Formats: sequence, C-alpha cells, structure tokens
Amino acid sequence: MNNLQSLSYYWPEIILTVTILVAIIADLFYSDKDSGKTALWVLGGLILAQIAIYIQDSEIVTTLFMGNLAFDPFASFFKTLIVLATILVIFISQKSSELDGHRTGEYYSLMAIMVFGMFLMASAIDLIMLYLAIEIVSIVSFILAGYLKGDLRSNEAALKYVIYGAFSTGIMLFGMSIIFGLAGSTKFFAIQEAMWNLEGSAQFAFTLAAIFILAGFGYKISAVPFHFWTPDVYEGAPTPITAYLSVAPKAVGFAVIIRFFNTVFGDSGAFIDPSIYTFTTIAWPQLLAVLSVITMTLGNLVALQQNSIKRMLAYSSIAHAGYMLMAIPTLSSQGVYAIMLYLVMYLFMNLGAFFVVIYVKSQGGGESFDDFKGLGWKMPIVGIVMTVFMLSLTGIPPTAGFIGKFYIFASVIKVGPQMYWLAVVGAINSVISLYYYFRVVKVMFLEGEPSETIIVPSPTVLMILFALAIPTVFFGIYWAPIADWVSRSLTLFIKVI
Amino acid sequence: MADLAFWMIVLLTIGGAAVVVLNKNLVYSAIALLFTFFGMAGLYVFLWADFLAGVQVMIYVGGILVLIIFGVMLTNRITSVNISHSSVQRGIGAVVVLGILSILVIMIYNTPWLQVEAVEPVQTVGKIGYLLMMDYLLPFEVASLLLLAALMGAAMLSRKSN
Repeated sequence: MNNLQSLSYYWPEIILTVTILVAIIADLFYSDKDSGKTALWVLGGLILAQIAIYIQDSEIVTTLFMGNLAFDPFASFFKTLIVLATILVIFISQKSSELDGHRTGEYYSLMAIMVFGMFLMASAIDLIMLYLAIEIVSIVSFILAGYLKGDLRSNEAALKYVIYGAFSTGIMLFGMSIIFGLAGSTKFFAIQEAMWNLEGSAQFAFTLAAIFILAGFGYKISAVPFHFWTPDVYEGAPTPITAYLSVAPKAVGFAVIIRFFNTVFGDSGAFIDPSIYTFTTIAWPQLLAVLSVITMTLGNLVALQQNSIKRMLAYSSIAHAGYMLMAIPTLSSQGVYAIMLYLVMYLFMNLGAFFVVIYVKSQGGGESFDDFKGLGWKMPIVGIVMTVFMLSLTGIPPTAGFIGKFYIFASVIKVGPQMYWLAVVGAINSVISLYYYFRVVKVMFLEGEPSETIIVPSPTVLMILFALAIPTVFFGIYWAPIADWVSRSLTLFIKVI
Repeated sequence: MADLAFWMIVLLTIGGAAVVVLNKNLVYSAIALLFTFFGMAGLYVFLWADFLAGVQVMIYVGGILVLIIFGVMLTNRITSVNISHSSVQRGIGAVVVLGILSILVIMIYNTPWLQVEAVEPVQTVGKIGYLLMMDYLLPFEVASLLLLAALMGAAMLSRKSN
C-alpha cells in the first residue's frame, strides 16, 4: 500500500505521536513539582491509541508504507500488550520513592516515545525500519535507565547499557549488510524469495548473518550470551523502569524474532508448514534450542546466589526468556501460540513482583532478602500477594504462570522424541527456580519477628496490587479469554506470490 | 593508478583505526579518527557513492569529530589523566579476533555475492532523494522521533539540577 493510503491504517501511531508532542509541550507549563502530571496526558493518549487499535478492522491483513510495516493481528496483539504494560508501569511509577525529587515530565514523554518504537518493532518487515525501531527503543531505554542522575548505580547502568547496546547493534547491522549483499533488498519478503534461489555456497554466509543478527535480537530479550548488561542495568535503573524493561521490550523482542525467522527462513505464516524448513541446511532451530537451554540454566543458577531481590528478579527474567525461547525451535504455530500466551501471563506476574519490591522500598525497606524478613506479618496483604506472584513465576497451579509454562512444554513435547531433552531441561530448571522464589516466601513468613503493628497499604496501592494479582490467579483458573485472543491474533502477514 | 589510490586509502583507514585503538592518549586517538573517517569517505567514492562520501565528510569529520575533540578538551585535567585504557587479556583477545577475521575472510571469498552490472557513474543524489520520499518515507519520518528522544535525553542528563 502506498504512503498516503497507509495513513488510514495508522491511527494508533498517529495518536501516539500527537500524544508525545502534547506531553512535551504540556510539561513546559508545569512547575518542577507538578511535572508528574504529564503522566495524565500520556495515559490519555495511550488509552485513545488502544481504542484505535481495538476498532481497527482485524480482517484486513496488508503491508503499509511501501512494504515497511505489516498490518496484521499479530502486530495488534503486541501493541495491545505494550499499551497495557505501559499503563501499569505509569501507575507503578507514581508510587515509587526513587523518583521523588526528580522532574518526571520527560520520564513519561520518553516512555511514550518508547511505546512508539515498540509499535514499530512489532510490525516492521524491512531491515532499515526494524533497525530504526530497535534504535528508538534502545536509546530511550538508555536514558530511562540513567534517570536517577545523582545515583552512581544508575549512571553505571546507563553507561553499561549504552556500550553493550552499541556493540550488539553494530554486530546486528553487519549481519544485515551480509544479507543485503546476498539478497539485494532490505524487505523481508524479497529476502525470503532470494533465499529460495540461493546457491549452496551462500549457505555459510547466510548462517553467519543469522548468528550476527541473533546477537542484536538476543540482546533485546537478554538471552545468554548477550545478557551481560541485564543484572547491572536492572539493578541500577529506577525500579519501575526495571520492571518495564523486563516486560515490554522483551515481548516485542520475541515478536521480532518470530517475525524475522518465520519470514526469512520459512513460509512466513506462523510456521504453518514445518516441512518447508528443510530447504536450508542451516541448523537454526537447534541453535535456538541450545541458546534457550544456556539462557534458562544460567539465569536460574545465578539467581540462586543473589542477596538482592531486585537482582534475583533480573536473573529470573533471563531464565524466563529461556523458557519462552524453548518454543521457537518447535517451528509450529503451537510454539508461537505458547510464547504469546506466556507473555501475557508473564506481564502480570513480573510487574507484580517488581511492584511489591518498589512498595516495600518506599515504605522505608530495602531490596535485599534481609529487608523482607517478617514482611508477611508486618504487611500481610503485601506478603500474601507477593506469595501469589512467586508461585506464579515458579509455575505452580492454579496460577497464570502454570498455564503459560504448560503450553510451552506441551508445544515442545508435541514435536516428538527428538525434543524431549529440551522439555526435561526446562522441567529441571523450573525445580531450581522453586528454591529461590520460595526463599522470598520463607523470609517473609518464617523469619524475623512477628510485628505488633500491621501496615495496610493505601487504597491506590491496593488497587494496583490487586489489578496485578487478580489476573495472575484468575487466568490460572480460567484462561479461555486469553487463549481466544491469542489464537485470533495468530495471523501474520503472508506475501501472496 | 586507481588500484594504488585504493590501497592508499585502505591503508589510511585501517592505520587510523589501529592508532585510535592502540594509542593511550585520548587526543591522539581523536585525531587518528579523522584519518579513518576520511578513508571511509574515499571508499565511498570508489563505490561511486558521491553523495554518501560528501555526507560522510560533512557529518563525521565536520560534526562528530569536532564534537569529540571538544569533549576531550573540555574535560577536566585531560592531559594529566590517562583516560584511554589499555586492554587486558591481549593474548586471548588476539586469538578471538584472528579467528573471527579468518572466518569472515573465508566467508567473503566463498560467497556468490549479488553482482550488479557495471554502469556509468551517475549522480546518486536524485535517487536517494526519491527513495527517501517514496519507499523509505516512514523510516525517514521516524528518524525525527529518534532524534527528539536523543535530544530530550541529552538535555535531561546535562541539566544541572534534577
């Protein structure tokens, strides 16, 4: 579709752009103290954008802007997920003590720009477009990670993030340039077509390019061995941003991996026909399987040794990326389905766990396990809710985390005996994770002195807590609405040849 | 003649880059970067990318390099402190680098790259302009948001109070 026609399918992004500008201009009129009110503009814009996404005709599947973007239910799914995560994180940020005394106008406008970048990532089908989208998300993440300027750890987080980010982007661009040299085009579908006609001797270059590009994508979802930035950035960044980084960019990172590998190496239709993948000798499914095993094992083993709950959650988020990666080598639409379902469940439980850490810190506590001693007695509601999130992150029924993991394992086992080993490794890892998630519960309820006074959180905090905890339990019992939504969204744009 | 010029430019680019990495003095490194950037512009000329070569000189040499040198000069006690770091674990590093280099060289020589038929050198400005306004209009517009984010971030980080 040409540029002008595309505009009528582009309302969510247009609304978002206007929101960004309005938020920046509105911020000019606020004093330093009132600057946080910018959040209201951003919230309003996000809700409008979400309405625009919702009323878009889901029957139409096409490309926009001369083949730069895909317009399909798959992209809409991820856009909705991003908007949901951003709205929740904006509410969480209001309750964070770390941001007190900082001018937060830019904080929220930058977040809106990041949402725009992630929208593009979810729908890009052109290498240049994809690179620009990843860059927008990365640059905003760098700034937000270093938002606490007076805090040395925050400075360190931003700097480390920039250096690793630049390095992995450079490697990814080199891979993209190799692909351009082979295919002569930056469009995914033109590359796919060129790949079919490639001579055998080009396989080596193609494999190398795939590995290089995977370095860039792996960095976004913090897969091992591209994870080195994760713990330090997650620890140094303001905690709401840590929560955000562990959910939203990770989700679109998976969207990019699914779309890219699906299109360039396959039939582009959510892995409808796995037999098609035999045309290439590249063992990329095996490569991704090994990557997923290393990612979850390392994430879990290092999470065991942490004394800071924030850092523990950082490593656990690496492990969760590993679980989700497990479903990609299955090359089946069930695998993609499982990842999308898992991402929805993961959103609630992970944001919830981080919100409890933020709340405890704002109440004069800290982030280490010692600071959580006796929390279950001092703040019973917070303690119980945190237990729910920990259960869910481990994957114990009847929580959302269990359903997510169940679908992932089911998709892996369905492939056949050659993939059983992957499911076994995943199961062993789940057991390891049980130890450190339950350490939090143990510390909260079995250690420390039972306190005399009971602290009940304020109504807004309770509202956020329950907004995150109720879905975590509810979707563990009745997940049909999510399952429906995911299966409706499982349509990717396919080029009509 | 053209071959000689080409290899001179390659030498300039790689030699400059080597000095940037190996020299411990930050000012020298910044100056050496100038040669690398110029060499890159020369390589673009050999690829008949006249516009790209001009942009390379204007933006990298004229803009970014001057900024880097300003940054170096304005930093406190720059001459007394060796900010540029020498690398650790040179042995392992050398092995890894040589390994990757040989893999890349093998890859480049064994790959049937897409060949474009040689044509008379023509001005590329018009073609680039057309692509930016037609096929790549959206990336072109989106780049403005990227710049806006970078600008806001720079202002936020360099502002005195919070």
